[in-house]
Amino acid sequence: MEKIVQNKTSIPPTVLEIKTEASLSKWAILKKSFRKNWDLYLLISPVIAYFIIFHYFPLYGIQIAFKDFIATKGIWDSPWVGMKHFERFFDSYYFWRLIKNTLGIGIYTLAISFPIPIIIALMLNEVRNSKFKKFVQTVIYAPHFLSTVVVVGMLILFLKSDGLINQVITLVGGTPIDFMTEPGWFKTLYVFSDVWQTMGWSSIIYLAALTAVDHSQHEAAMIDGASRLQRIWYINIPAIMPTIVIIFILNAGSVMSVGFEKVFLMQNSLNMSASDVISTFVYRSGILEAQYSFSAAVGLFNSIINFIMLVMVNYFAKKINKTSLW
Amino acid sequence: MKRKKYLTSFITGALSVSILLSGCKDKEATTEADKENKENLSKTNMPIVKEKIELEGFAAKFFSSQDWDKLMLWKEYEKMTNIHINWETVSTEAVTEKRNLMLASGEYPDLLFAAAVPKSDLIKYGQQGVFLPLNDLIDKYAPNLKKIMEEDPIVKQGITMADGNIYGFPAYYDPNFKGLRIGTPWIQKDWLNKLGLEEPTTWDELYNVLKKFKEGDPNGNGQADEIPLGASTSIDQIIDFLKGSVGLNNHGASNVHIDLDPNGDKLRFQPTSKEYKQLLTYLNKLYTEGLIDKEVFTPDSTKFNAVAAKGVYGVLPEIDPKTLLNLDGYVGMPVIEGPNGDRLNTAIGSPLGNVGMFVITDKNENPEATVRWIDHFYSEEGIKMFFMGFEGVTYTEKNGEFQYTDEITKNPDGLNLDQAISKYLTWPGGYYPGVVKEKYFQGAEGSEASLENAEKAEPLTLTQDQIWPNFNFTVDESTELSALSTDIKTYVTEMTANFITGKKSIDEWDKYVKTLEKMGLNRFMEINEAAFKRYKD
Amino acid sequence: MQNSTSDKVFSFFNYLFLAIIALLILYPLYFVVSASFSNPTYILTGEMWLWPKGFNLDAYKKVFENEDIVNGFINTLKYTTFGTLINVIMTIIAAYPLSRKDFYGRNVIMAIFVFTMFFSGGLIPTYLLIRDLGMIDTFWVMVIPNAVAVWNIIIMRTFFQTTIPLELQESAQIDGCGNIRILINIVLPLSMPVIAVMVLFYAVGHWNSYFHALIYLSDKENFPLQLVLREILIKGEMDEMIKATSESFFKQQLSVEGLKYAVLIVSNLPMMILYPFLQRYFVKGFMVGSIKG
Repeated sequence: MEKIVQNKTSIPPTVLEIKTEASLSKWAILKKSFRKNWDLYLLISPVIAYFIIFHYFPLYGIQIAFKDFIATKGIWDSPWVGMKHFERFFDSYYFWRLIKNTLGIGIYTLAISFPIPIIIALMLNEVRNSKFKKFVQTVIYAPHFLSTVVVVGMLILFLKSDGLINQVITLVGGTPIDFMTEPGWFKTLYVFSDVWQTMGWSSIIYLAALTAVDHSQHEAAMIDGASRLQRIWYINIPAIMPTIVIIFILNAGSVMSVGFEKVFLMQNSLNMSASDVISTFVYRSGILEAQYSFSAAVGLFNSIINFIMLVMVNYFAKKINKTSLW
Repeated sequence: MKRKKYLTSFITGALSVSILLSGCKDKEATTEADKENKENLSKTNMPIVKEKIELEGFAAKFFSSQDWDKLMLWKEYEKMTNIHINWETVSTEAVTEKRNLMLASGEYPDLLFAAAVPKSDLIKYGQQGVFLPLNDLIDKYAPNLKKIMEEDPIVKQGITMADGNIYGFPAYYDPNFKGLRIGTPWIQKDWLNKLGLEEPTTWDELYNVLKKFKEGDPNGNGQADEIPLGASTSIDQIIDFLKGSVGLNNHGASNVHIDLDPNGDKLRFQPTSKEYKQLLTYLNKLYTEGLIDKEVFTPDSTKFNAVAAKGVYGVLPEIDPKTLLNLDGYVGMPVIEGPNGDRLNTAIGSPLGNVGMFVITDKNENPEATVRWIDHFYSEEGIKMFFMGFEGVTYTEKNGEFQYTDEITKNPDGLNLDQAISKYLTWPGGYYPGVVKEKYFQGAEGSEASLENAEKAEPLTLTQDQIWPNFNFTVDESTELSALSTDIKTYVTEMTANFITGKKSIDEWDKYVKTLEKMGLNRFMEINEAAFKRYKD
Repeated sequence: MQNSTSDKVFSFFNYLFLAIIALLILYPLYFVVSASFSNPTYILTGEMWLWPKGFNLDAYKKVFENEDIVNGFINTLKYTTFGTLINVIMTIIAAYPLSRKDFYGRNVIMAIFVFTMFFSGGLIPTYLLIRDLGMIDTFWVMVIPNAVAVWNIIIMRTFFQTTIPLELQESAQIDGCGNIRILINIVLPLSMPVIAVMVLFYAVGHWNSYFHALIYLSDKENFPLQLVLREILIKGEMDEMIKATSESFFKQQLSVEGLKYAVLIVSNLPMMILYPFLQRYFVKGFMVGSIKG
């Protein structure tokens, strides 16, 4: 059975594509494009203005990471200290542990949390019974709305030494496990509870993408005798591949952004070696003194790593799949 | 970006020159205004000023919906003092961000009330001239705080920053409020009686009692559901109680991990001392035999209380279990003697809370009147008004005893005590400059049992003059210390838990000490020594 | 339509797998509902795990007794509807041009947008800006500073690129349609699924927003629901030294515990109902079939 090519982005240039990029100068091309699509430029201008005003204008605040912030002096006049805060962070005894834990959780989350919503969307898409479909859809996206406090509260309740899970374990003859205090369990608990909470919500975007799949292709494939699995693999997945790739790139760009609240609630002195991440460390540092500059520096460090990840993944995605952010 | 910076520098430069030039004229103007203010001011009585003055104030409040313009406390106090304050209030949750934003915007008010300014900010902005030094003002216009400072020297030491200046009024917990300040964990006397045991006074006796609690089914329900020893918020509660039995925390618990080396006059870092090792070994023994609650390392105060309410704990550090959880039979534990012969209760800290609860800024044109305004809350009358409110409305007095009215305690709209009180007063939530005195405080710490517990432990507890306040550091010291202590404290907490649970063998002690030294322990102690020296002088 | 055995097997496992997942999620959800009607003590000691134990409506009563709830609800409705409207429009007008291959400079613009996802000046400059624009404590501060999210622009752009056939737009251009008309008459009707998703994402974002309001609003008349509800959840964790603040500390702690669940349900029910409503838009655009040939 031949593979049905679905790659829309490799369609040969059409009227809408400017073929002469190589021969005209960039400025000339811009002028030409502007004349032709002036209304598109106009259309997008409010959004550009918004970003300039609300995001680029305040960007000067990023200097805080290089200064000893004194609020009454303002950001411009606070004394410059260069890399002092970064050095403090890098010199910490725990620096590598923090990186290991933060990146570890980030990558683990990406590896598990990323594919599952896709699978769920693909499966839900195959359900014919609309009542069952609606029921499952509504149920699985509900956990997204639970507050972190409640989710962790329930997690601890079910996993404590005499909690539900351990009771089941003892029932089948095993020894109870100290889930919450064993460093080895931390990352797994964090990631899987994350999956539990977000898989439904994250699948929504793929479900929306799947609605655009050409039904006639499925008909043709069925006539050719393709099984459901084959049809999913050769039609559905390629159809939503651009969405998958884009979301993957975006997720790669938040690999260092392990949220504070959930880790903080799950952390205790016994599982610290696995649970101490950058955000909780910065929080603890701030207890002695107001830490604006320090947390700004660490935040900047995180952002840079994230950004590098994004650019790298974007680059590879472009090479492999021709889908990318830019 | 570069261009903007040059532009700003240019403008700043131009402004500075013009300010310098106008400075001469301003000086004259301020002395004129000063004179006027002084004449308006009444030095000792109410109202504070003859002609009404208006001040701008920033404050943190516990309930976001509380309206300070309509609050009875402020309206009545305004009538008394003739000072009107325009309040800008924020929720205690957002106070740190809001405080910084407010300072950064340059539009900060005349005073900050209940804003919990941390010490590092006090000295930082004090040195910038944003917060006014209050030493002279207190001396002249704050007789009530002055009196407290004289009666309790720790107050002056605690609120004076490393540069010798006082920048804020503190929250102060009256040392005579014994039930609040002194206490030992509670032990279930009924169980002792049932098992024929005496209250334990040594490590070995304590071990025996706990073991019998676990095995003897003292609650008589046929199940081994007793938990001999637990803690509601942290293993530190147990550690702090037992520290005295090996002579640790010999100057109180305010400076975490630091006390005085008994063989000299230098500071000692407790977590590397041999006494601490002894303590951890003992606790490890208790833990491995199941005498300490396993949940103690994943603390959840609410959950602990719910379980405790079933009466399964033999020993627990807490607020009086009778008042809090309606449990009978608990009495205060005796102070315990350790293997080296020490028998002390050192689980007591400085009576000061946050020392930046009231701050006056350089925008304030009436600092004298402002100081008088806040000082009233350190007087008997002021404390009563702040905590109890107004007679007939929020409280009644009978034979010198003060009680909240039914509207507060049994609110018809179903509000709890904090909510009902918040319709009139601001103290719920714990953010305030002022004094917590037993007479006017209705918490569980004021209960009979709490007092008994305190009095029982008192003879073996550190005395007021033996207690050190939190040390104060310079801005540079603060920053350096911050970096070191995050690492050091994290490590100590982790290793302590690991040693107690046995996850790490106590034989790794030397490695543990070496690691701490690698983290800069020596420099950490050096900085503390410098602050200690300042305190002594 | 034939249903071969492999298809039947597939179907079976499909349903089974989804059912298991649904159950795994359903139980804790059910737990939350059950807990909201239970006596908090039983929740904490682990005695309640299926049926509500110590059934009572106290938590819900406490929530609805609060006089600011109705106002908070109305405010949140206002912020959410207007905010989402602005959001969706802003997202569309950014995503469409970016999806056009002949829109020169689109990679540069995209990079400019993406950059802001990572680097920001922080709270202080943003706050100062908003103050200078006079938006503090106004309705606008809740809908303008968060007018659009880059993530969503990207999603929508991807959707446009992959599902709106170029040929369709081309033929419209040849027919003399301007870009705006193409957008309105062709692209948008085909994009109902992604627009539904955007409405959902943005609406939920507004509905749950809390920190933003905490910083920028001070008049309680403007408070959104989340802020009001947060108030009811007086945090049971108070500073060690400030432990001594009131009587029956434990009673309060318990009520907070019970309230957590009721507040969760009350505050999220509207949003959870939104999705089923939007589900019907998850149908294919009917134009797709007309492209062939």
